[in-house]
Amino acid sequence: MGLSDSFYGNSRRKAYILINLKNNKSVNMKKIFLIIAVSAVLLSCKKSWLDVSPKGTLSEAQVAENPDGLVNAAYAYLGNDHYTTPWSLWPYGNVRSGDAYKGGRDEADIQQFHFGEIFINQRSDLGTLDGMWFQFYVAISRVNSALANLNAKTDTEFPAKKQRIAEMRFLRAHWYFNLKIMWKYVPYIDENVNSNDYGNISNRELTNDQLWEKIATDLQFAVDNLPASQTQIGRPSKIAAQAYLAKTKLYQAYEQDEQHNVTKINADKLNQVVTLCDAVIASSYSLEPDFANNFINGSYENGRESIFAVQFSKDDGTMFGRLNYGDVLSAPQGIGCCDFQKPSQNLANAYKTGVDGLPMFSTFNNADLDANVNTVDPRLDHTVAMPGHIWKYDPNTVYQVSWNRSPDVYGTFASQKENVKRSEYTQLGPFYANTKNKILLRLADVLLWKAEALIELGRHNDALSLINQVRTRAKNSTSLLKLSNGNFESNYKIETYQPGVNCTWTQDFARQALRWERRLEFAMEGNRFFDLVRWGVADTYLNNYFSVEKTKRTYLKDAKFTKNRDEYLPIPYQQIQFSHNLYKQNPGYTQ
Amino acid sequence: MNIYSRLKKRKMRRLLFLVSFFLLATIANAQQRTISGTVTNKTDNLPLAGATVTSPKLSVATNADGKFSLSANTGETLTITYIGMRTQSVKVGNESEITIQMEPGVVEGDQVVVVGYQTQRKADLTGAVTVVDMDDINKLPNNNPIQALQGRIPGMIVYTDGSPSGSNVNVQIRGVGSINGNAPLYVIDGVATFSGMHELNPNDIESIQVLKDAAAATIYGARAASGVIIITTKKAKRGVTSVTANARGSYSWYGTKMQVLDAEGYGRAVWQASANDGSPLSKYLIYKFDYGRDANNNYTLNRILLPEFVDTTTRTMRTANTNWFNEISQPAYSQNYDVSLSRGTDKGGSVFSLDYLHNQGIVRTTDFKRMTARINSDYKLINDKLWIGENFSVSRTQEVQDPGVLNPALQALPVIPVHTIDGIGWGGPFGGMNDRQNPARIIADNKQNHYTFIRLFGNAFADLEIFKNLHARTSVGLDYGNFDKRDMQLSYVSGYLNNPDNKVTMSHFTTSQVIWTNTLNYKSDWLKHSLDAIAGHEIVKYNGMDFGASRMGFASEHIDYMYLNAGTGLKDNYGGASETRLMSYFGKVNYVFDRRYLASATLRYDGSSRFGKNNQFALFPAFSVGWRLNNEDFIKDNFDFISDLKFRYGWGVTGNQENIDATANRTLYATNYSGGDPTWRTPDGTAYDLNGMGSGTLPSGFQLIQRSNDDVRWESMTQSNFGIDFGFLNQKIYGSADYFVKTTSDMLVRPAYIGVIGEGGYRWVNGASMKNKGFELLIGYKGLIASTVNFDVTANLGTYRNKVISLPESVVNTYGGNGTTDNILGRPWGSGYGYVADGLFRNADEVANSAEQGAGKGLGRIRYKDLNGDGTIDQKDRTWIFNPNPAYTYGLNINLGYKGFDFMVFLQGVGPVDLNVYDVKSMTDFWSINETGSNKGTRLLEAWSSANTSSSIPALTLTDRNNETRFSTYFIENGAYMKLRNIQLGYTLPSKISSKISAKSLNVYVSGQNLFTIKSKNFTGVDPETPAWGYPIPSMATAGVRLTF
Repeated sequence: MGLSDSFYGNSRRKAYILINLKNNKSVNMKKIFLIIAVSAVLLSCKKSWLDVSPKGTLSEAQVAENPDGLVNAAYAYLGNDHYTTPWSLWPYGNVRSGDAYKGGRDEADIQQFHFGEIFINQRSDLGTLDGMWFQFYVAISRVNSALANLNAKTDTEFPAKKQRIAEMRFLRAHWYFNLKIMWKYVPYIDENVNSNDYGNISNRELTNDQLWEKIATDLQFAVDNLPASQTQIGRPSKIAAQAYLAKTKLYQAYEQDEQHNVTKINADKLNQVVTLCDAVIASSYSLEPDFANNFINGSYENGRESIFAVQFSKDDGTMFGRLNYGDVLSAPQGIGCCDFQKPSQNLANAYKTGVDGLPMFSTFNNADLDANVNTVDPRLDHTVAMPGHIWKYDPNTVYQVSWNRSPDVYGTFASQKENVKRSEYTQLGPFYANTKNKILLRLADVLLWKAEALIELGRHNDALSLINQVRTRAKNSTSLLKLSNGNFESNYKIETYQPGVNCTWTQDFARQALRWERRLEFAMEGNRFFDLVRWGVADTYLNNYFSVEKTKRTYLKDAKFTKNRDEYLPIPYQQIQFSHNLYKQNPGYTQ
Repeated sequence: MNIYSRLKKRKMRRLLFLVSFFLLATIANAQQRTISGTVTNKTDNLPLAGATVTSPKLSVATNADGKFSLSANTGETLTITYIGMRTQSVKVGNESEITIQMEPGVVEGDQVVVVGYQTQRKADLTGAVTVVDMDDINKLPNNNPIQALQGRIPGMIVYTDGSPSGSNVNVQIRGVGSINGNAPLYVIDGVATFSGMHELNPNDIESIQVLKDAAAATIYGARAASGVIIITTKKAKRGVTSVTANARGSYSWYGTKMQVLDAEGYGRAVWQASANDGSPLSKYLIYKFDYGRDANNNYTLNRILLPEFVDTTTRTMRTANTNWFNEISQPAYSQNYDVSLSRGTDKGGSVFSLDYLHNQGIVRTTDFKRMTARINSDYKLINDKLWIGENFSVSRTQEVQDPGVLNPALQALPVIPVHTIDGIGWGGPFGGMNDRQNPARIIADNKQNHYTFIRLFGNAFADLEIFKNLHARTSVGLDYGNFDKRDMQLSYVSGYLNNPDNKVTMSHFTTSQVIWTNTLNYKSDWLKHSLDAIAGHEIVKYNGMDFGASRMGFASEHIDYMYLNAGTGLKDNYGGASETRLMSYFGKVNYVFDRRYLASATLRYDGSSRFGKNNQFALFPAFSVGWRLNNEDFIKDNFDFISDLKFRYGWGVTGNQENIDATANRTLYATNYSGGDPTWRTPDGTAYDLNGMGSGTLPSGFQLIQRSNDDVRWESMTQSNFGIDFGFLNQKIYGSADYFVKTTSDMLVRPAYIGVIGEGGYRWVNGASMKNKGFELLIGYKGLIASTVNFDVTANLGTYRNKVISLPESVVNTYGGNGTTDNILGRPWGSGYGYVADGLFRNADEVANSAEQGAGKGLGRIRYKDLNGDGTIDQKDRTWIFNPNPAYTYGLNINLGYKGFDFMVFLQGVGPVDLNVYDVKSMTDFWSINETGSNKGTRLLEAWSSANTSSSIPALTLTDRNNETRFSTYFIENGAYMKLRNIQLGYTLPSKISSKISAKSLNVYVSGQNLFTIKSKNFTGVDPETPAWGYPIPSMATAGVRLTF
């Protein structure tokens, strides 16, 4: 009740006093008592006058009326990241894998990523790690808020209840999956945890396997409750859930001990991977005819290969658009800024092919790629920008040495997949962002997961056609790389694996072929380091990489991967502190 | 003169009327005769209107010409009092005409001060109240009167900077009051506000009182925790018409600029860093290095080569050697004029004043303009029983603020020219250089982006005498602000930085605070008793609203063109509102017996909309007692050198509700469609393109922004004060001393929280409690030297110690420490936790024989102390290394007067205090821990190297392997300083001369401000008062004239 209400409510009683006294004294006294009366009214002012509602905010009850509101906000977090805490995980999946250099001005430009790159000084108190950790849990908290609200609804109140729950659990699985591959042991919080208990849940409450099971359970629920296709393309379908579950089971199959050594590959899990992949392969998704289509802006987005992608947008009423802010730093300096995430020489060399059209498994790094001499896999020109080659299929834009910010430190390559044509950027401050969707799951991945599972199951012969499907598509992906004079950007030569003709298809060879294929197909897409850890080869692979690469890049001179530590990041010190030392630091890190 | 003393005089006038009537009736009394006289001010010989002349039987007031007449018997004593003047006594002799010359200066006890809804004789005060000597601050060129109080009030620390508006002033009374802000409550003519004292015309101020302890401040309850400053503006003096005018001009300059590397020095530093790392650079940005090895096989730099052009290919920017601090600085001129007209009559009066101020800042393009107008008027009606009036001011301020250019001026590379070779285009970074903006462009493009703020402030009141001594008063106060700004963002090309899209943002906000105060006041003296009681009710309603809109795409960047309507590009807008309310009941009783025993009690009951239903109201009690020993016979008889001696004790509780969200106790969700500006921070939007359309309106939702806490309650402050006021040798020596103990309980805080809670984990909780204990001393000595030179020296000293005394489990991690066993409990509030830097490693033995420091130990690196002795430097080796509280603060004011000359020196200082200088020192002492690649301070050239092993500045390195960014004692310096705040010489022209221009008085003066600073040798920065990137405090020379007609 407002002031005026209480005034009128009480005025009658006061008026009585006023009249009564009026008769006694002079006219002036009327004024006196008017003042007294008004004061008395004030004194009787109700406490409710102090009930002031906050402006422009909603209460829990108001929010609960619109369950899709919290669901939408949970989706929104797929695009809420920033260049020091990118969802694409480029500093963690690419820079740490030997596929990419950090880039930028020099080592000290975002030093924390530099320390990650050389696996030296990777301290638990680095702000980027804490920021990343927090950002994951913010995303999870949005999912859990949406789930708690959905759980409280009946099916009649909200008919889409079950489907939305499935969508949310898909998202939650996605966030925990990424947390898991970065830190291995993380606190697991779902919508049933009382917020007062959050601090009491250790990162070791669940074992490695139990954590994987939590992720798999959410995805299984999604598989069971999502429709085979969604009218709104931004939502995951049953197929997406199956694909993600396959990925989860594949990681789960490589069992690790406490020191991150891969101790066993679980055949049961591998079989589940095969089954799930089969379901996805049988769906309407298929490989794009041209590899490039997965990395082009506009009408190619949400194409036939894209099973689940982060949707970016512009001209949407937000300040600059909901752009891919996580990857802004990797626009070359020639675009504007800032020339981070630069393909390594080693990666470029890996695309060299031999006379047989196959990768040069053992000799690729003996000499650096020379585009005038070597034959290459066409995916090189889709992935790595090289001076003198056109930028992003735009014949009018030639990528040049001068586009590079610090060629003396980080060489002259640039990453193309997350970038767009020069005209398609949106400038914000010094940065250049774009709206191209980021594909999280694409069919090629599913094909190669299945192949990987089959190879580890000893069914490498069954894997051959899957790998060759991917290679065949790569072979056919040259039309956008053709120059106006009829020549191609590079001298392409790529063949499928043909046992007896250009290879002997043993399990070991198949495994090597698969791992190479994954690298060539998914380079710069944020996976590579986690593949290496899954396979249990990160230490040998990376120290081998450093031994050669540091002769070309002096900034790598101190780089060294420490086995049984560097497979995972340190739990952020601040979080350990907030947990009152309940969280246990990962092996190998002192604090 | 303030309204309360006017009240007192009104009563006296009524008395005079009655007495005259009585005299008329007994006209035959022969022994009495009429004495008439004139009261004048001794310093300027001007008549004093409204002085009170009291005989044993009655008292009268002087008229406009300072004249009075009354009946008295020979031998009786007349007492003449006037506020601001020393009380005089005259024995009635045979003369019928007497002249009384009053001397300025106040006998402490006779001063009447405003203490919150009431006035009190200073002698009767039992709280800790400091009265500001306005004469000392009136001539200072501070446009913010609070700035001028720096160093003048013991126990009150004023933190400020040199911005031309003088708006950046933080006041801390008696230590850290609350973590939720230390801003005292300003009560101007009874209207309370927290904001914008620089919008007030200082010449309008009649008096300032600082209420420091709870006994004095509790009457303001929930808003008084950080002290109360009471300001009373000038009122017309009865029967006086006067015009005063002031003019003042100042010239200010940037005293000491930060020393930054020049073009060569920058190259030298980065090369040295790489050489120290074992792989010397041959190229860096546009630098080429020619280096070799000396006889000891150490790398040496022979030569630095720079190209003719920064942009080697396009050749538009000639390689420069720019000193960016020079480029952003300017000598600044300021001027201030004010005129005021005062006219008083028997039935009331009015004061009208105008003020114009224009201050240029020493950062180029910054400036501040202010115009104010005030009208204070009052009238008496109904046989003087009803008194109505108003005090009202309008101010218009306009300011171009520093767009944050000081830090960029350090960071911008010296090789970058200000302009391209055509002299028009902007220089900027090229190639691999940092994306830092050209500081000269930043300020040039910002020069038209001023805000305009209009503030209406004042109150209207009515005061009615209901019965004898009982007054009802009602007052409606208003504080209304209207802010407008147009921000033009111009397109530019500056090296590789560019902005092709121009943009205009127009923003607006209004704030309004309405205060309605109703009081009943009873004041009565009988026999030896004196009673003054007040009861009241007050409501405060605050509303704020803001909105803004922006548009891009303007065909012209002309200042008259760039308005929203003219744009063709993207539009955006925003807006919001807030509201808070406060409802209060209060009462206070002051009692004096025989001018010896004093007592006072206060209760205030405040309800605030900021708090939850369960804890919406809080009670704030206080009491105080005093004993005026100098009125005791045993003092009078035995110690006649004691002219004033009073003991005071007070206890009380005050509250704080400022800076606490209006909705502290609720769970709140919000829609956040856009997610904010994503340029430098993570967007947190709630909209997402679920449909995959790529554009258009997106489905959106809600985010949790705050979790509820049903238990949230008031934070409160309990304070005890022991005080003594003294005066000796007829007040030749005077002063006061106070000791206080102040406990702030349950300070509200929104603690950082464990990451797994995710979004919206913020909640208001009642956190730590802390205690401040302190001592304040004010002492003065005044007199005459050789009967011609007046002097008055006052010194003040304040000190306090602060300690956190309780720390609830829920916030144990919030205030630093190691998160478990070692926390801030028992330590000063704001203490910092970090490593102890134990010098540098100077030889291989030291490196080999010290604890492990992760990847980083090595020659020239900082060695950290292994506090727990486990052989490894890690988080366990941190301890408490920083205490932000100064050991003491002080001020010294010396006034000398000789004939028409007056001379003043004012020194102000801060004793030893820890300063955390990380913000600057990380950029003056290191290449690689902060803003790598940017320009740095010249100290880098003195860093440790194998050729310079005596340096205490760590060796340069390209990457911070030793984690020297960690908070350590390396970044703690002593911030003690003493500044010559003001030195001033004035001259009042003899009245012979001033009267030739019909002036009653004419005074001219010259002065200098901040002319020198003494600071600790340990301090490596520029100014310990603004150790980081605050607006630099200029040195200043001022000349002015004051004229009275």
